[in-house]
Amino acid sequence: MMDAWLSKIVAACKGIGLNYDFLLAADERAAFLHGLLVTLQLSLACIVLSLLAGFLLATLLVSQRRWLAFGARVFVELTRNTPTLVQLYCAFLVLNMLITQALSSSVGNPLTPFIWVVLVISLHKGAFHAESLRAGIEAVPAVTLEAAASLGFSRRRQLWLVQLPLALRFALPSLINNLVDLVKMTSVASAIAVGDVTYQSIMIWTQRDNVLELMLLMLFFFGVLTYAVNLAGRWLEQNLRMPGYGR
Amino acid sequence: MADSAYTDAVPLLPQSALVLRQGRTWLLLLLLAVLLGLLLRSGILQLPLLKDLLTWSPALLLGMLANIQISVLAIAIGTLAGLFIGVLQLSSVRLVRLAARGYVQLFRNAPMLILIYFSTYVFPFELHISSHYVSFPDWIKVTLGLALPASANVAEIFRGAMLSIPAPQWEAASSLAFRRTQLLRWIILPQCLRRMLPSWMNLYSTITMGTALASLVGVHDLLDTAQIASTTVNRVDFTVAIYFTTLLLFFIYCYPISRFTHYLERKYAFI
Repeated sequence: MMDAWLSKIVAACKGIGLNYDFLLAADERAAFLHGLLVTLQLSLACIVLSLLAGFLLATLLVSQRRWLAFGARVFVELTRNTPTLVQLYCAFLVLNMLITQALSSSVGNPLTPFIWVVLVISLHKGAFHAESLRAGIEAVPAVTLEAAASLGFSRRRQLWLVQLPLALRFALPSLINNLVDLVKMTSVASAIAVGDVTYQSIMIWTQRDNVLELMLLMLFFFGVLTYAVNLAGRWLEQNLRMPGYGR
Repeated sequence: MADSAYTDAVPLLPQSALVLRQGRTWLLLLLLAVLLGLLLRSGILQLPLLKDLLTWSPALLLGMLANIQISVLAIAIGTLAGLFIGVLQLSSVRLVRLAARGYVQLFRNAPMLILIYFSTYVFPFELHISSHYVSFPDWIKVTLGLALPASANVAEIFRGAMLSIPAPQWEAASSLAFRRTQLLRWIILPQCLRRMLPSWMNLYSTITMGTALASLVGVHDLLDTAQIASTTVNRVDFTVAIYFTTLLLFFIYCYPISRFTHYLERKYAFI
């Protein structure tokens, strides 16, 4: 049933000059579908971890301890102003190599390329989230903080119960923007041979020379993913909305 | 007595803070010098490493130049195309508007890496103009691949800036009998450009960082040079050093841009 439909679609595409034959070969189709799954996993893992990293970095950025704030600032500026691919190479080709050397050969290095990509992208986008959240924290009116202080909130409770919840709402549009960027960024995983959709597509088009067809599929897939992130963002914006703030 | 102590303490405080800060800077430099000395003594940072880095530095800088060349050309093409599409986005013809919006949506939501692969593999490797074959080198293809998202983003920045100009500006200008071209030239565009500048520079920074992806399609850029250097010398300490040098070079180029963007944002924030 499925196969009949698929071959019909492939034949129809051939009619307009697009060669989707690889969808009919079971192994290549499986590889491509697995690539889609890996990209989804990458995106989800990075979204969760980058938000965690972002919150942590934001609290460090506004910390009263000068050295903590300074360290976080250096990290954020360094991360924001260097290419992700170079960071990925510094992590995977340099740090990973050093770790492999340090561990004895019997133990083996437990860090896979997938984990490195998740770490690098999460920290990279975490720095962007942190910057947005910091701006949000600074946008919280002083009066609100004074009110919290007069109710006996400690600095830490002010941060977690007053500033961060408000900052999240102020920063939400730019956080969603960052997450859309993050989903697009997962395609660099192909550079260190993580089997994401970009990597699988490269494997297929070197065999079949059907670059344009695969491009269209990938653009469609990433379009759907970024649309989903945007939808989720809009839903969050509506649900987190507080009267008196924003539109 | 207590009073004078109080008045003395107030002007003294900032000065003492300044002295403290200067002292801290010197302490930091001293610490760095000691650290460098220790590293040299302990043999982690060896002189051969510095010599190798020096040997490879001209190649690295040439690679960096390729990155800068690609980024400047891509942002130039992207800006011209983007302004054109931005104008189309505000057109009164519905079909034109829709087409422009579609273009912007497509290329803003596409990963840069995929667009680079797209332009590298889909464009021919040479052009046939009448009877001449003109080669179409990879770095130009990458430039075009980066110009696509750049143009879509410029179009969006332009649209945002146009929409942010308050309607009374248009009305006031037309009530002063400005013609439409005069109105655009003298009243709307200067305000638009001022509003666009910070986002545009941000975009340039993003495009510059995107040029690192060129190494994946075989363009001889900074990252590619670093990889060649690391496999040629084939020593652990050199590999560590060369990749972090690459990181540092990108940082040195992009950080001032980001600082300047920040400054402009502050300066124009309340206009």
